[in-house]
Amino acid sequence: MKASGRVILDKVFTVITGLSVILLIIVLLVILGPMLWRGLSAVAFKGTVEFRKMQLAEFGQGDESAVHIETAKAETAQKTVYEMIDRFKNGVDFEKLADRAKDIYRDFGEELQRKGLPREEYTELRSLSRKIRNELTAAFSSRDIGEINEHIDFVLKYSSDSRFEGTVASQFFRMAKDYRDAAANIDLEKRDEYASELAELEEIIKGLFGPHPEEDSPALAQFRYGATRWDQAQNLLYRLRWKEKWVEQEPGQPLVKIAVSRAELFAGTELEGLFGFVEMNLGRMLLPRWTFYWRYFVDDSTPGHYFGGVGPEILGTLMLTLLSMIFVVPFGVISAAYLAECARDNLIIRIIRMCINTLAGVPSIVFGLFGLAFFVLFFLPLFGAPSKPCILAGSLTLAVLTLPVMIRSSEEAIRAVPQTYKEASLALGASSFRTFVTVTLPAALPGILTGVILSLSRVAGETAPILFTAGIAVGPVPKSIFQTTRTLSYGSWDMAVADKLAAQVPHNQYGMVVALVLLILCLNALAIILRSRVFKRLKGH
Amino acid sequence: MMSSNKNEQTVAAAAGFDQPLLLTYTQDIKGFLLKHLGRIVLFVLTCTSVLAVFLIFLFVILEAFPFLNRFSIVEFLTSTAWYPSAHERPEFGVLALIVGSIYVTITALVFSVPIGILAAVFLSDMISFQVRGIVKSIIEILAAIPSVAYGFFAVLVLAPWLQKHFGFPTGTNALNASLLLSIMALPTIISVAEDSISATGRELREASYALGATRVETMFKVVIPAAHSGIIAAIVLGMMRAIGETMVVWMASGNASQVPHPWWDLSQSVRTMTATIAGDMGETEKGSDHYRALFAIGLLLLVMTFMLNLVSEYFLTRAKKSMGKS
Amino acid sequence: MKRTLCYGLVLMAFVFSTQVIGAEKLHIEGSTTVGPIADGFAEVFKDVYPEVIITVNKSGSGTGAAALVDNRCDIATMSRFMKDKEFKDAITKGVFPVAHAVAMDGVCIVVHPSNPVSALTTEQVRNIYLGKIKNWNQVGGSSSPIVAISRDTASGTYDTFEGFIMKGQKMDSSIEYVSTNPQAFARVKNTRGAIGYVGFGFVQTGVKALTLDGIKPSKQTILSGKYPVSRPLFMFTNGYPELGSTAHKFVTFHLTEIGQEVVEDKGFVPVTNY
Repeated sequence: MKASGRVILDKVFTVITGLSVILLIIVLLVILGPMLWRGLSAVAFKGTVEFRKMQLAEFGQGDESAVHIETAKAETAQKTVYEMIDRFKNGVDFEKLADRAKDIYRDFGEELQRKGLPREEYTELRSLSRKIRNELTAAFSSRDIGEINEHIDFVLKYSSDSRFEGTVASQFFRMAKDYRDAAANIDLEKRDEYASELAELEEIIKGLFGPHPEEDSPALAQFRYGATRWDQAQNLLYRLRWKEKWVEQEPGQPLVKIAVSRAELFAGTELEGLFGFVEMNLGRMLLPRWTFYWRYFVDDSTPGHYFGGVGPEILGTLMLTLLSMIFVVPFGVISAAYLAECARDNLIIRIIRMCINTLAGVPSIVFGLFGLAFFVLFFLPLFGAPSKPCILAGSLTLAVLTLPVMIRSSEEAIRAVPQTYKEASLALGASSFRTFVTVTLPAALPGILTGVILSLSRVAGETAPILFTAGIAVGPVPKSIFQTTRTLSYGSWDMAVADKLAAQVPHNQYGMVVALVLLILCLNALAIILRSRVFKRLKGH
Repeated sequence: MMSSNKNEQTVAAAAGFDQPLLLTYTQDIKGFLLKHLGRIVLFVLTCTSVLAVFLIFLFVILEAFPFLNRFSIVEFLTSTAWYPSAHERPEFGVLALIVGSIYVTITALVFSVPIGILAAVFLSDMISFQVRGIVKSIIEILAAIPSVAYGFFAVLVLAPWLQKHFGFPTGTNALNASLLLSIMALPTIISVAEDSISATGRELREASYALGATRVETMFKVVIPAAHSGIIAAIVLGMMRAIGETMVVWMASGNASQVPHPWWDLSQSVRTMTATIAGDMGETEKGSDHYRALFAIGLLLLVMTFMLNLVSEYFLTRAKKSMGKS
Repeated sequence: MKRTLCYGLVLMAFVFSTQVIGAEKLHIEGSTTVGPIADGFAEVFKDVYPEVIITVNKSGSGTGAAALVDNRCDIATMSRFMKDKEFKDAITKGVFPVAHAVAMDGVCIVVHPSNPVSALTTEQVRNIYLGKIKNWNQVGGSSSPIVAISRDTASGTYDTFEGFIMKGQKMDSSIEYVSTNPQAFARVKNTRGAIGYVGFGFVQTGVKALTLDGIKPSKQTILSGKYPVSRPLFMFTNGYPELGSTAHKFVTFHLTEIGQEVVEDKGFVPVTNY
């Protein structure tokens, strides 16, 4: 090959090798970057008044009087929206009217019980009110004005019945009269359309502002509040203004998504102006403000991680890892000490080293199997503990997993201590044991500490071994080591694939993974700094 | 004279010099016992790692043995039908799973070995010492990221991206899992390969440059062949890491227990042994055939990684010996 | 410094090893389909009975049954009835499983919303999962490969699907497996050519439920049993729980108004229309 060709090849090679490292860095940034960005949005974001309400009610955080003032301000701004909807609904929402009829029937039944009427009268009145309720419901769901009037007339026949006077049942008749008046005025054909569109609209409004001020508070926490984050609110606003439909463009071809303006669907009615109004005034209705939710790392979460933070997960991870460290450090350091100081290169030592390397290569899921078969099913019952997954079993499994890492790094640290230290001590007459304990070990301590931190970070990130030995997705904060616990690693897996609500709160999904990654990165950074200082001290002094 | 002798004697007695400096074991039984007992205790503690390996093998074999006894091992290893919970006739053929694991691992190596060796060459030969420290730290960070985070990335980011840009019918497939496994195996390969390339020493390189070779020629014709044992060990270690990885393949590979049809079609879903164990274990009752079959798969994994370990040990000792010679 | 570290470690060891004394515990294990209902009930119970510790574990109906039989849990949630073998195991171990039907559910076949196909027959779905139909144009859709997704095998959803649609035949090996309902939902939502099956509560924006044999899955068709793949969701206890105990309140919670609300919120069909 010509000389210039070889030189060019050489330069190309240099560039390629450089590129491979740059590729690595790019991959790292591509993986970590968006994750960190989205995860940090769990901690720093624009929170609305709903967020502050939620914090106060669920976690007891925040200034009560300030939240009340803000809530009042927001509600005044939202009132217009509710009024517009209510006015529209009175002629259209037959489901709500039917529900009210059912409520009246039930309340009437309770009232009759309290009155203590004789059995026959009670049964007769009850079945009569049930008939009235059914007629009303039929009237509400019918679309034929003739039918409606028939049903209403039947109901109103009993309006003069003395047994119903002054009771809850008189509301039946008021409803019937109102309905007859309203039904005479609206277009019954379009009513079904309006009804389903209205139902969707109300869902979105509920998502934005929370339940209607006059409704009962829902049982589940996730439905009690509106949009707690401004970005959530913006998404809902988009869904409010635009309805996405899948329409067929060509037969047999995939459908195409188009967006239809909801204002058009309600054209000509009162609600047409609602959408523009909400868009313009959303800020006043939700009062967004930059929030730094540092308590994310401390708070517990509502079920499904819908609200709240990852406090218990962090606690669980810390408990598991620290407990496993307690088990592994003595064994690791002592083994390393023996291998570094007393071992000769004979068969037994070679077998031990081979076993350490084997242990390092065992897949983590096999450790999980071993933990299940040995610790949970065999070891724990030996000591009388229940044969269930628990923190103790999990940390013992993790300790075995991380033993080789500990032994290797401790041995490296002990060997790195210069011979001169040891020789000086021996020259002064100390026994080899004493030398080790008072001279070598303290000098190797920073290195051993580095090893401990590296093991910690490895153990914190492991999921497979704790899948069947200690981890659960939903559960209380553990109070003893014989309970299972939530951890950051198991929780991240759960949030990524198993949890139903997680997809609706991506900031929490990413937040948990980012908490784990940040924890591990901090530990690793600590180890790197420590190691460079040790390196400098032992070599460069 | 008498008094100076007496003085000497008292001084000597006070300093404990009435005894010889090196005591035999009969004179210092306590020290002797302590020293040797201490060593024995330390030795026993060191043997915990041996004990651990032994226990792992023992318990996995114990749990898997009844299954292996009842079902034919040949059928276990060569049938691709994995229907462990079928009501009438459960089938336990793990060939598709073994093929899945190996397929994903080898594809991961195809991606990571060239990049790994190039990066190792870059680290050892082309940059200064300080920059090397920084780059090594970055590689350590890559190694430290937990597998769950990689799995997260695979499912939520990479899978839709693969679907959109390559038009694959499904984003969770062998390619997805291989890409991620190659990223996870890279740090291992780079660090071990870099160690062995650096260990070849300056003389080899200087001799080659003296003969007029360019850097690329030196690398490919002299240094890498000299370090070949270490590099092979690095590849084998990377392979061990990839085969043993669970969470990422569980989330990213689609878990279809099939052998991909045209064997080069990476866009099909596969299932690995590790994902099968992780996925199925939570729902099987202890002691059932399915449970024991999963332990049998675990045993298979253990045997495979153990053999890979032996191979890598062999190459590492060869590397050390050749370094020792030169 | 070293001494305080030592003391700190010893103290931590003490703290970690203290047992919880006296608090009442209710452990619930089983189906990932019924799990969200149990979660919802547990959430309400946390406010009303804060001294009871309720833990919910979701790993499959089969595990729930096994846990109840081994007395490892108080309530087993299952999206299918107990099998013969499970019942027999229970009786031999002195456990008498009692079923409480807390909600109705339908197993809905879902596809990506862009899929022009909106109705299939049971036969067609079976053939898709047997691998005989591999392309959407064979069932009236556009020309794209079918990505069939199934649930893992101890799932009750899988059992129901297998019983009604597969009629005992084994699925093809090219079927992708996911381990939970939300994962199946996510896969179908993100994959244009995918077909999968989820519980009724998981049919949300992002996937489209197919009409099966001419019947669309909805609250009415599931409650009336018209939709072919509808099933009750169960909670099993060991014997009938003691009246007034927390377990009793838990398994009869679906009969209260709040319980029904929770069941509906989670996307299932309440057993009564209170």
